[in-house]
Parts: sequence; C-alpha cells; structure tokens
Amino acid sequence: MTGLGSDMMIDLDTRLLDAHAADDRRELVALYAEAADSANDLDAACFYLTHAYVFALETGHPRATHLHKALCRHGRDH
Amino acid sequence: MSHAPTDLSGVRRPLSQANGLPNAHYVDPGVFAEERDALLFATWAGLAVTADVPEPGDAVPIDFLGLPLLLLRDKAGEVRVFQNICRHRGMILVDAPRKIEGAIRCPYHSWCYGTDGRLVSTPHVGGPGHNTHDAIQRSELGLIEVRSHVWRDVVWINVSGDAPAFEEVMAPAMARWAEFEQPLYHGGDDSRFELEIACNWKLAVENYCESYHLPWVHPGLNSYSRLEDHYHIEAPGAFSGQGTLVYRQITNETGNSFPDFDGLSVKWDTAAEYLSIFPNVLLGTHRDHAFAIVLVPHGPDRTVEHVHLYYAVPDTDSGLRQRNTRQWKTVFEEDIFVVEGMQRGRHATGFDGGRFSPAMDGPTHLFHDWVAARMEAHRARPRAAE
Repeated sequence: MTGLGSDMMIDLDTRLLDAHAADDRRELVALYAEAADSANDLDAACFYLTHAYVFALETGHPRATHLHKALCRHGRDH
Repeated sequence: MSHAPTDLSGVRRPLSQANGLPNAHYVDPGVFAEERDALLFATWAGLAVTADVPEPGDAVPIDFLGLPLLLLRDKAGEVRVFQNICRHRGMILVDAPRKIEGAIRCPYHSWCYGTDGRLVSTPHVGGPGHNTHDAIQRSELGLIEVRSHVWRDVVWINVSGDAPAFEEVMAPAMARWAEFEQPLYHGGDDSRFELEIACNWKLAVENYCESYHLPWVHPGLNSYSRLEDHYHIEAPGAFSGQGTLVYRQITNETGNSFPDFDGLSVKWDTAAEYLSIFPNVLLGTHRDHAFAIVLVPHGPDRTVEHVHLYYAVPDTDSGLRQRNTRQWKTVFEEDIFVVEGMQRGRHATGFDGGRFSPAMDGPTHLFHDWVAARMEAHRARPRAAE
C-alpha cells in the first residue's frame, strides 16, 4: 500500500488483509474508501477508490453511486 | 467432421420398412458432436426451468454440452441466459449457484457486469486508477446473451441464434395444449429431482414417446391404464408422444386431490398427454398437475434428467405433492434399466438400428426421422458456412 502515513498504513493494511481473508466485501468497500481518503496523491486515491467502487458494485452497496461519481469527477470513469 | 458420415437412408424409409438410427448415434463421440450442433444448438433446446432462479439476482452456472452458460434472473425479474465468460480474458464468471447482490464481478481482473449483461466497470483498464480507455468500449463488450424463451416454465435456448422464432417452431405443441396456457406453479423442493442415467439422451426421448412398453416395464399401470387406453401423438418435425384416456387423480388419505387447472374441456377429465418435444424436453399434462423433464446430455452415454412437477395453484397439500413426486419417480426409475440396457446394446456390432412395430412405434420412428432429416440438412450445408 502506498501513499499513507506509516502507522495508519499498517493498521489499515491489516484490516484490509483481514477483510480479504474473510471475504467480507462490504467491509472492503469501507476500508478501500478509507484508504482513498487517506492517500497522499490522486493516483493512489483513485486506485483505492476503484477498489471500493468495484466491491460496492458487486455487493449492491448504497455507496456505489457516490464512489462512481467521485471517480468520474477525477476523470477516472464515465 | 473427421469420421465417415453415418448412413441414414434406412431411417428415412416409411415406418414399416425403416431401421432405427445406427449405433454410432449412441456411442460415437464424433457423431455426438455432430448431433450437438445439428440437433441441440441449432434448434430450441431445453436448458433448465425458471424455478431454478426464483428471485432477482439468482444465478446458476450450467455446462450445456461443454458450453459454459449462466442462467440468471435479472433485477427486473426477467430470466436470461448468457455465456458464462468475461469478455476480457474468457474467465468463467460464476462457478457455483449464488445470488448476485449487485453486479457480476469477474474474479480475475474484476470487470463487472450488470445482471442485464451490460459491462459496467473496467477497473484499471487504462492503468492503475484509470478505469476507462478509448479502445475499450463497454457498450460493445457486454455479456454474450444466448437467445432464450420461456414456455411451460422451461427455459429454451437457441445457441446458434438462427432458428425460426420459438412461437413458430412450437406452434403445433402450443396449439395442442392451448387449454393449459395458464400459470404453472412449481411444487418447490419436494417437486424436483434428478436422475443420472448411463445412456444417450435420445434413448430417453424414444422411451418416453411410446406406450408400447408400458405393460411390460410399468406393470403397476395395468390395473387401470391398459395399453389399449393409450393413443399415439404424432406431429412430424415437432414432437411425438402418447396419451391416455383413463387418467385417475392421485388422492391423499382423506380423499382430497389437487385442484384442477381452470376451464378445461370434458376430455381432460380422464385424459392425460405426454409429449417429447424435440430435441430434449419431455412434458406431461393432466387436469391437476404437469411436469417437465429437461434432458441434459453429458456425453454420448451419459444424461441427467431434471424433473419438475407443477400445479394449478401456488399452495397445494405438501403430503399429496410428495406422494405425487414419489409416484412419478418410481415410474421414471422403472425406465432406467431399459434405456441403459439399450445403450449397452448399441455396442453390438450386428445391430442395424432395429425394426419398428408399424402399429406401435410410430412416435419413435417419427423422432428418428426428425433426427435423420436434421442431420442430413446439417451435413448438406456448404462447408464455408461452418
């Protein structure tokens, strides 16, 4: 994981790995969105935002529309 | 086609002089592949029933003669059939029955599809965090939909995409059973079962469409449903089957029976009919219940029969349903040794396809003649069209 503060990175990285291990896709939406919010540069933020959006799409998560709009706003989706 | 084509001239002769299909049509992998294209992919074949995907988002992967398909009910409630592959790298999308909560996500690179087949997300396709690319037009890369139609709850598919319209092909059967064009209610888990049989799929069709065997293989029917109470049903090019004039309703311990379908004519008080709809669907109808059997071939000598029972109303007596299911399962199981025995018999080099009883085997020959005609037409196509 790139672009996050080190302590936060370790904590979030652990929670992401746990969520992946548990195949908890709705939790992955929240965690990748959190990673996007914490990222230091736009490319990293959009990388995480993409993952949050994909898992939101897959699970029918209510945040999908908001995440998609965010990606579009940055010119990363349409 | 790497093998010499089978000689079907004997099959095309009139019933009294005809032979049945040659052995190769039951045991030869090359002929099996030919029949897949000519008989099952180029026509309207049964795949499943809509009761397999009762709720929006329900998805069931089905291997249909090696073709990976995805049966699903979309968010709008429509039952659809897609090829079960991602348009990116051809990865299988859904590998076990499950509910699609939102989108279908490819497990490989996470391209996502709506339940209506639209490609809705292409993550990182333009590089990390860039989810679009001019060369990737999502509108051109939706799931590949297979032409499908629902009739009598069966999901029929035309894989080749160029068969005449379903309503046109099935018009004779629809007209015959027009009185039964009313809602069918699947009986639920107690009204479905599968039988795995070690035989070619056509033997199940052939056995189903004739009544000749009934007194020998189903002696339990003799007490009330004698051979002379049955009649042949023959619709060349479409279906064949048998009917009975002495159908008796099943009852429970208190003498109650299932409710009838609405508005049936008097004929159906005691009549019941059983149609082999070519190529691979076996249907039965009675005043108070119906069934559908979808035959899914898994090789020249292996077939799975998917059996489903239906009623005229949504809530029927559970005990009576279970009794009815048991009764039909017993009958269908009684047929297994016959179709499996004929399959083993097809390895006898001296067997010439057999001869038909001119009086009793008309429906069987009609099916063989349909197979032969379609095979001949398939073989006569210009090679460039293949």
